[in-house]
Amino acid sequence: MEQLELLMGGFASALTPINLLWVLIGALLGTAVGVVPGLGSAMAVALLLPVTFSLEPTAAFIMFAGVYFGGLFGDSTSGILLNTPGHSSAIASTFEGHRMAKSGQAAKALATCAIGAFIGGLIATTLVVFFAPTLVKMATVFGPAEYFALAVFAFLAISAVVSESVIRGVAALGIGLALALVGIDGPSGTARFTLGTPQLFDGISVIVITVGLLALGEVFHIASRIHRDPVATRIHTKGGARLGLADFRKALPAWLRGTAFGVPFGLIPAGGAEVPTFLAYGTEKQLAKRRNDPEFGTTGSIRGLAAPEAAANATAGTAMGALLALGLPVSATAAIMLAAFQQYGMQPGPLLFERSGDLVWTLLASLFIGLVILVMINIPFASVWAKLLSIPKHYLYAGITVFSMLGVYAVSSAILDLWLLIAIGLIGFLMRRYNIPLAPVLIAVILGPMAETELRRALAVSEGDLGILVDSPITITLYLVLAAALALSAVQHLRHRATRKA
Amino acid sequence: MSITQQESGAGSSVEPHGKPRARFGTGRSEFVVVAVLYAVAIFLTIGTATMNVQGKSAPGPQFFPILVCIVLYLAATLLAIHILRTPNVPDNTIHPGHGQFSADMLHDLGHLGKEEDAAYEDAPSPTPGKTWKTYSDWRTVGLLVGGVVAFVLLLEPLGWIISAAALFWLVAYALGSRRPVFDIGVALLFSSIIQLAFGAALGLSLPSGLVGGIL
Repeated sequence: MEQLELLMGGFASALTPINLLWVLIGALLGTAVGVVPGLGSAMAVALLLPVTFSLEPTAAFIMFAGVYFGGLFGDSTSGILLNTPGHSSAIASTFEGHRMAKSGQAAKALATCAIGAFIGGLIATTLVVFFAPTLVKMATVFGPAEYFALAVFAFLAISAVVSESVIRGVAALGIGLALALVGIDGPSGTARFTLGTPQLFDGISVIVITVGLLALGEVFHIASRIHRDPVATRIHTKGGARLGLADFRKALPAWLRGTAFGVPFGLIPAGGAEVPTFLAYGTEKQLAKRRNDPEFGTTGSIRGLAAPEAAANATAGTAMGALLALGLPVSATAAIMLAAFQQYGMQPGPLLFERSGDLVWTLLASLFIGLVILVMINIPFASVWAKLLSIPKHYLYAGITVFSMLGVYAVSSAILDLWLLIAIGLIGFLMRRYNIPLAPVLIAVILGPMAETELRRALAVSEGDLGILVDSPITITLYLVLAAALALSAVQHLRHRATRKA
Repeated sequence: MSITQQESGAGSSVEPHGKPRARFGTGRSEFVVVAVLYAVAIFLTIGTATMNVQGKSAPGPQFFPILVCIVLYLAATLLAIHILRTPNVPDNTIHPGHGQFSADMLHDLGHLGKEEDAAYEDAPSPTPGKTWKTYSDWRTVGLLVGGVVAFVLLLEPLGWIISAAALFWLVAYALGSRRPVFDIGVALLFSSIIQLAFGAALGLSLPSGLVGGIL
C-alpha cells in the first residue's frame, strides 16, 4: 500500500513538537469559534487566513486542519445548551440534543457529539487516504469541458437546488461571479472593471470578500437585532462530558449510520453537511418509530443526536478529499480552504499530489492528529467550552470587528481593501436580512475564474462550437444529474406550496 | 412556521405587529437588493462595453462578463416581480442558515413534523413584547457602520492601538455594554495585545501612528 507509506511520511513530518503546537492552537481556536453561535468554521478559517501568512505553508495548513474539524466539534454545543444551533449543519442535532439537555442529560449529549464527530471524521479521513489516488486518476481524464460542467454543477446545485429560494440563490451567484471578474484577465491581459486603479489589477482579494461577508456582515446583522431578539436561556453543566458503556453501545450503530450518510455528500457540491445531517436525523426518527422508542421526541434519544453529528463530520472529512484531489469545493468552508491554497500559490487538484505531495500527506496526517486532540480537549473540558457562551456578546462582536479589520489590513496594508471590506460587509448584512444564501457567493468567487478559463479554453479548441460542452459521457452525465436534481427540487417546492395553501 | 425561513403567502400578509394598515412599501424593502443587483449589472455592462480589449483570443475577455450580466439582470428582474407579488412581512423566526437551505427540502429529508417546528419555536420566544417601526435596528447598525468608517479614516493618522481600541469600545457600547469606563481598559488591552502578538511576534505591519511618533 503506497498510500500508507506516504501517510506515515506525513505523520513523521506532522509529529514534530512545533507542528503539534500548531494543530493544538488550530483545534483550540476552531472549537472556540465553533461554540460561539453564529460563527462557523468557515468564518474561523477566513479570520485566521490572513494572520497565518507569516507562517510557512505546512504550519499554516496544519493549523487549518485543526480549525476545520474544531469548528464542527464546537458548533453543536450551543445547539444543545441554548437550543440555538451555532451553524446550520448543527440544526439536525439540536432537536434531540436539546431535549436530552432539558431532561438533565447534557453531559451525555455533549459526549455523544464529541465521539460522533470523532468517529465520522476518522472514517471519512481514512477513506480519503485510501481513495485519494483513485480520485486523482479520475481527475486526470477531465478536460476543459468536464471542468466547466463540474463548475456549473456546483453553481446550480448550491444556488438553485438546496437553497430556500431559487431567485435569491441565483442572485447571490451573480454577485459572486461579478466580484470574481474584477482584475486583469489572465488569457488576454485585459484590465476588467478596475476603474483604472492599479491596486485592483490583481482582483478583489478573496480574504476581503470572505471576511466581509462572513465576519463583518454577521456583526452588522447582530447589531440590527441585538436589542430586539429575546435572550435564549442556557442549560448549565458541570464537569466533563460523560458517556456510559450502555449508552455507547446504543449510540454506536447510529454513529456508523450517520457516517454512511455523510461520506458520499463530501463529494457532492450540495453546500455542506445540512442535507446528510437531516437525512441521518430522518432515518433515526423512522427507526425509533419502528422500535417504539419512547425517548425520541420526549426526553431526547441519544441515537437521534449521534447520527447527525457523525454525518456532519464525515461530510467534512470527504469534502477535504474532493478539495485536494479534484480541486472542487463542496461547501463555503471548503471554498475558503481552496482560497488558502491559492494564496500560497498552490492549486488543489490532481497536480497538487505530484507537486506538493509532502504538504498534502502532512495535511492528511494532521487531520488525524487534529481529531485525536479534539476528542481530548472536548470530552473532559466540555463545560469549560460551554463557558464561552457566557462571554458578553458586545465584547465578542467588538473583538470580531477589530479582528476582521486587522486581518484585511495585515495582508495588503492597503486602505482601499478596508473600504472594500466595509462595502462587502454591508452586502453581507443585506443578504442576511433578506435571507439570501451566502454560500453561492463564495463558491462563485472561488470557482468563477476556473469556470471562465475552462469555458473559453473549450470554445477556443472547438472554434466556437457549443457542442463540445456536451461531447463526452462525463459531461452528459453531470448535466443530466443536475437537470434531474433541479426537476426534483421544483416538484418539492410546488408540493409544499400546495400543502401550505391548503 | 418552520425551522428556517417561512415566506408568508400573499393572501395572509397581515403584519404580525404594528398597524394592520399595510402600505405599498410594507414588506417590500427588499427592493434595496434589486437596486444593488441592477447597479452591479449596469456597472458590468458599462465596463464590458468600454473595455480596452488586449489580444485577439477567440472567446475574448468580454465573453464571460456578458453571461454574468445576463444572470444579474434576470435575477434582479425576477426578484422584483417576486417581491411585487408576495411582499415579505418581517418575520421573527430564527434563520440559522440565512436562507441557505430550502426548508421544504430539509423537512422532507428529515421527516420533520410539527414536533420539530414546535421544539424550535418554544425555546426563545419568537414574539417580542415590544414593537418597532422597522425590522432592523438602524440606530445600532448606523453606529457600527460609522465606527468602521471612522476607523478606516483614522487608522493611519492615529495608529493601530488608538483607532482599534476606539472601534472596539464603540462596537461594545453600541451592542449594549453598560460599563463605558471599564470598556476603555478592555479595548486598550485588546488592541495592545494584538499589536504585540501580531505586530511584534508575527511581524505583521500595523501603523504605529501618533503613539509610535511619541515613543
